[in-house]
Amino acid sequence: MNSGDSDSSSLERPGRDRVEIGVAVCGLALGLFVLAGSFSIGLGAGYDRIGPRFFPYLVAAGALFSGALLLKEALGGGQPSREDRVSRTSGSVAFTLGLALASSVLLLERAGFVLTAALLFWLVARAFASPRPLRDAVVGLALSVAAYLAFTRGLGLVLPGGLLGGLL
Amino acid sequence: MDALRLLAEGFAVALEPANLLWVFVGALLGTAVGILPGIGPALTVALLLPVTYGLEPVSAFILFAGIYYGAMYGGSTTSILMNTPGESGSIMTALEGNRMARSGRASAALATAALGSFVAGTLGTVALTFTAPALANLALTFGPAEYFALIVLGFTTISSVLGGTLARGLLSLFFGLALGLVGIDLQTGQARYTLGLPGLLDGIDVVVVAVGLFAVGETLFQAWKGSAREAVTIVRGFTWMSREDLARSWKPWLRGTLLGFPIGGLPAGGAEIPTFLSYALERRLSSRPEEFGRGAIEGVAGPEAANNAAVAGVLVPLLTLGLPTSSTAAMLLAAFQQFDLQPGPLIFTTNPALVWGLIASLYLGNAMLLLLNLPLAPLWAQLLRIPAPSLYGGILVFATLGTYSLNHSVFDVGLMYVIGLIGFVMRRVDVPVAPAILGMILGPMAEQQFRRALAISQGDPSVFLTRPISAVLLGLAFGAMLALPLWRLYRRVPSTK
Repeated sequence: MNSGDSDSSSLERPGRDRVEIGVAVCGLALGLFVLAGSFSIGLGAGYDRIGPRFFPYLVAAGALFSGALLLKEALGGGQPSREDRVSRTSGSVAFTLGLALASSVLLLERAGFVLTAALLFWLVARAFASPRPLRDAVVGLALSVAAYLAFTRGLGLVLPGGLLGGLL
Repeated sequence: MDALRLLAEGFAVALEPANLLWVFVGALLGTAVGILPGIGPALTVALLLPVTYGLEPVSAFILFAGIYYGAMYGGSTTSILMNTPGESGSIMTALEGNRMARSGRASAALATAALGSFVAGTLGTVALTFTAPALANLALTFGPAEYFALIVLGFTTISSVLGGTLARGLLSLFFGLALGLVGIDLQTGQARYTLGLPGLLDGIDVVVVAVGLFAVGETLFQAWKGSAREAVTIVRGFTWMSREDLARSWKPWLRGTLLGFPIGGLPAGGAEIPTFLSYALERRLSSRPEEFGRGAIEGVAGPEAANNAAVAGVLVPLLTLGLPTSSTAAMLLAAFQQFDLQPGPLIFTTNPALVWGLIASLYLGNAMLLLLNLPLAPLWAQLLRIPAPSLYGGILVFATLGTYSLNHSVFDVGLMYVIGLIGFVMRRVDVPVAPAILGMILGPMAEQQFRRALAISQGDPSVFLTRPISAVLLGLAFGAMLALPLWRLYRRVPSTK
């Protein structure tokens, strides 16, 4: 909830203005992408009155419209966003989270669910600046084993066993 | 009364021992996810979809409904004790509730929240019992044109009401609609937006999108913010309230119910708006407005009643029209689709045991939730002691597990993470995620009804305006876009001191 900054002009908030323009550009890009993609959709048998391209046209038009509306707001200093948070982005947090997500995609079917999930848990805890890495490793491993056993034995789902497949 | 006879049959289903157990599990899980910040009912239902595939549909829906109601009970505990809403429906509760907790009145705040939730949840369920069959009868007259107009109305209200500005809501909506286009067009068999990836031919599962936007997006956002967590107020023993507190609470409970149920039933995004309105109303009606901002119990009682009544209201269009009006309702619709069921007027005649068993379970669930939350709130508050690194680590582990077990596909997991990155950016720049979820699940329905309507009218587009119900709905949709400036004025009321 903002209470104080609803009448601040765009001149006073150059940083936020860039964000506004960025969102608008994303909207325009989405519209152009949907529009460009619609031309490669086959037309089907042709006896349909409304073919498979019609709705994509509508979606493209809508995305372009909302992008343009945002651009107008950003440049006109209209309705401001509620965004007033302090950035604490550091390269290492972003790197740790990127590593967490990438490793779990790469390892899930190779190393198995338990090891992958334990690593994911541990890396996310690092990104949240947890002070106890050893305890996180133990908690992550315990959680992964418990989840694996509960979901495979208890609920009958199939999860990749991987390296520990024979043990569990 | 026909509804009472059907409800009695519903109770016979809901009171089966197995289903009673599911009500209880739903109430437990719902309270827990309501209390934990970062996990909500929509995400929980999404993650449980693969697990419930083997259950009887009625058991699965009893579980999900318990989670939805339970989250509204649990969310208030976090708002009151930690000043961080556990749930978006509990944002307003934090305003007065946390002030009360800090001045040593946490017990009364928790009690009025739990009792108000019970009163509103039960009255809302009564209203659902009697309005749903009537609306289902009306909906039997709906053709494709009416359904299309109804969905368009949902699109405009959802995107204009949620988020900072109309343009942001619309952008989120069209992002969701674009995601819904991906895959093979059902009418003509043409592939659309699959980028040559075989994993996209069947379309993107709405669960992948919901888990990505809610779980991964939220985790990345919290890591990026690096916020220190708020202090938790400690409460011990049973929570109860004085006679004076009760006297000040019962009217806000009833007013909150009257606001929550109908607004929850409108396509306007569920429980948030009625809680804003209820807070504003209570402040205006209070005989001691000077207490607002310093811990007025009316400011807890009203919004907490409103959010539970809104859940009952959300179920009306979902069950009678197949129209979800909140993210959780969108997940419930996905659950219906998983069981090859189509909610709508026909389900009241084709599957009465499911519908009435579900409605009956809501009465039982509310009673259980009152018992779970009123005396045990201090015990539940222990969940707030889970440190953030473990909480978000755990959320990502279960997000990965749930997404993988959908189709046993690592591609889905990767896609979920990519959508999570987009969700992070959306949070970062204050674009709401709920319209994207609703757009994604409603978009294909809108397209299908649109094409059907035009096939029936032999290509004449005036069909949408010559059928009266359709014309009225489209008129309302247009009006909703224009009414936005008025709405914003009203909405600003609770946030200004």
